[in-house]
Amino acid sequence: MKWIPNFNSSGSLRFIFIIAIFILLFLSSITYKHNQDLNESSKLVMHTYEINIQLEQLMSAIKDAETGQRGYMITRNSRFLAPYLFSRDKVNTSFIALKKLTADSPKQQENLKKLFKLIIQRYVSFENCLKYSEPRTYDKRKLDNHMFGGRILMENIRFQVDKMNDIEKKILEERLKKYDEEISLSPFFSISLFLAALIFILLAYRQISNDIVRLKIYNKKLLISSGLMAESEVIGKFSTWQWDLESNKIDYSDNQFRLLGEEPKSFIPKKETFLEFVHPEDKETIENSIQGIIDNKRLPFVYYKIVRKDKQIRYFKSTGKLLVDQQGSKILLGINFDITDEHLLNIKLQERNNELEKSNQELASFNHVASHDLQEPLRKIQTFISRVSDADRAVISDSAKEYITKIETSAKRMRVLIDDLLLFSRTNTTKKEFIKTDLNELFKNAISELAEVIDDKKAKITVSDLPKLYVIPYQIEQLFINLIGNSLKYSQPDILPTISIESEKVLAADYPELLDPSVKKYHKITFKDNGMGFDTQFKETIFVLFQRLHSKTDFPGTGIGLAICKKIVENHKGYITADSEINIGSLFTVYLPE
Amino acid sequence: MQKNALHILLADDDEDDRLFFKDAFEEVKVQTKVEFVFDGLQLMEHLHNPDTKLPDILFLDLNMPKKTGKECLIEIKKTDHLKNLIIAIYSTSSSDEDIEDTFIHGANIYIKKPSDFNALKKIINEVITLNWHYHTSGLNRDNFLLSLK
Repeated sequence: MKWIPNFNSSGSLRFIFIIAIFILLFLSSITYKHNQDLNESSKLVMHTYEINIQLEQLMSAIKDAETGQRGYMITRNSRFLAPYLFSRDKVNTSFIALKKLTADSPKQQENLKKLFKLIIQRYVSFENCLKYSEPRTYDKRKLDNHMFGGRILMENIRFQVDKMNDIEKKILEERLKKYDEEISLSPFFSISLFLAALIFILLAYRQISNDIVRLKIYNKKLLISSGLMAESEVIGKFSTWQWDLESNKIDYSDNQFRLLGEEPKSFIPKKETFLEFVHPEDKETIENSIQGIIDNKRLPFVYYKIVRKDKQIRYFKSTGKLLVDQQGSKILLGINFDITDEHLLNIKLQERNNELEKSNQELASFNHVASHDLQEPLRKIQTFISRVSDADRAVISDSAKEYITKIETSAKRMRVLIDDLLLFSRTNTTKKEFIKTDLNELFKNAISELAEVIDDKKAKITVSDLPKLYVIPYQIEQLFINLIGNSLKYSQPDILPTISIESEKVLAADYPELLDPSVKKYHKITFKDNGMGFDTQFKETIFVLFQRLHSKTDFPGTGIGLAICKKIVENHKGYITADSEINIGSLFTVYLPE
Repeated sequence: MQKNALHILLADDDEDDRLFFKDAFEEVKVQTKVEFVFDGLQLMEHLHNPDTKLPDILFLDLNMPKKTGKECLIEIKKTDHLKNLIIAIYSTSSSDEDIEDTFIHGANIYIKKPSDFNALKKIINEVITLNWHYHTSGLNRDNFLLSLK
């Protein structure tokens, strides 16, 4: 079940951030290397210049020596010899420094050795020049030779120094070129990498801000719906709880606390806490159903009582369902309903029902009394009277004869009353079996039942085509008999009775005050006669049991016939109305639902 | 009394009804022998007694003390040597339920006790002259209730 909105950006966000971090790490390592390289190359340059300087110093020391020697040879002043004497130390110092500086290059060491040899030869030539220029040992030819040789040596030394300088320069150039190649690649590369990282981070930022907007919307919705939920729980007297089966944490809604008679969040709910509220009678059932939740991961409807701290007993109905959220964790959602009001109402209804059933039984036993016990003495009275033979009647007095006749009439009337009452109560109590029946057939049966009276009164009865309906056949037949019989009974003495029966389909909407609009169509059947009619003020009361408009001497009757008609029509969820005009006739209208 | 007289048994607790019944039979032209039992228990004892000569027709009131007519009817129809007995229900009640029940449990005819002595005579005459073999074989709900105007 998906009941949590989908925020799938968290995965892609993580991916973007990891990429960005890698790019940045890479960039910083490149920068570090770049720095290292710069450092190396500057060291290299320094190294080359140092060698250069030392070589130049070497050269200048030798030149100083040469210049000093010449000055001495010209002037014979020993002051000029001082630079020459110092120059040897200078040469030695530079030479040691150069040896150190070129330690990494065997080729330069070789050159250095050559240079050193040349310098030693030069100093030998200095010594020889000095020797042959001394007045004591003067030798012009030898001096010239050594002077000239010194000149050539000097050029060789210069050549050797230049050669070493050139080699250093070359090495420097080569190395710098190599570094340049390495470094020249990196700026473009690192800028593009940096830009890529920037784009990734911007993308992530956009995603995050989108999510925040969505989250805000959902949060608002969530707030509204949780507020509504809490309200509806209060109004609907129900509460919810969630049981996280993994962490075994139980959450109650605020109303759950209230239903238990506690302040919201006044305690931390546990599996066992709820049981403390359950009525002792129901504890076992609830314990079992809690176990059932764990075993079956669902909770069918369970009904039980709880006892609040103030000893008030409330009736509860609970159910639950297992939900699985996006992360796959299982949460059991439960709902409790406080059905105390309904329960008490139900008990009241049950009591009423029992009373009704009792009174129904009483009615049934009344029915039995009427049908059996009342009829039996009456039947005997009638039988005994019938046994008073004509011979017997001849010998008794006239008044006794009249009394016997009156007893006979009263007994007969009593029988009619009992029979009608029975008919009325049976209309109510007997089985109501609805069968699709042709009302024309029922009408025919009714007419044949009344054939004798119709003949006597020479009545004319017309009928239009009647519908086929789902009815209780014998009751509708009884309805026809009673209504037609009624018209025949209250016909006008001097006019031949005519009764016309008509049927049509009508819409309930056309009779809004009378008919039930949930049933769309009704069959309207009218019974119209030209009888003596009745005052319209009685058009409701004539349907009431035992209501009679005439004295029983004028028109014998029990006042039950039309009450039976009303009952029958009501059994069919229909309506009956009466209308009349005195000395013109009456109109009875029956509406039966289609 | 003659040997071939029709043997009638009435089970009814009401003294007056027994009297009417006896008087009516005396005025009927057919030779009959009428016996009475006063309640359901007595009826069943009588019928189970091996010395009893079974009646040709049993008139059975429904509303009787100790054992009702309906219970007697069910018991008779369950008993092998009694189940072919011709039974006329003879009751004050004319409720559909009683008529339906006794028909289902195998009574042969249903008579509503009339409230006129002459009518009673007429009914009795009709019942004892009825061709029972013919009537029983064509028995249905419509001719089960014997109605006399």
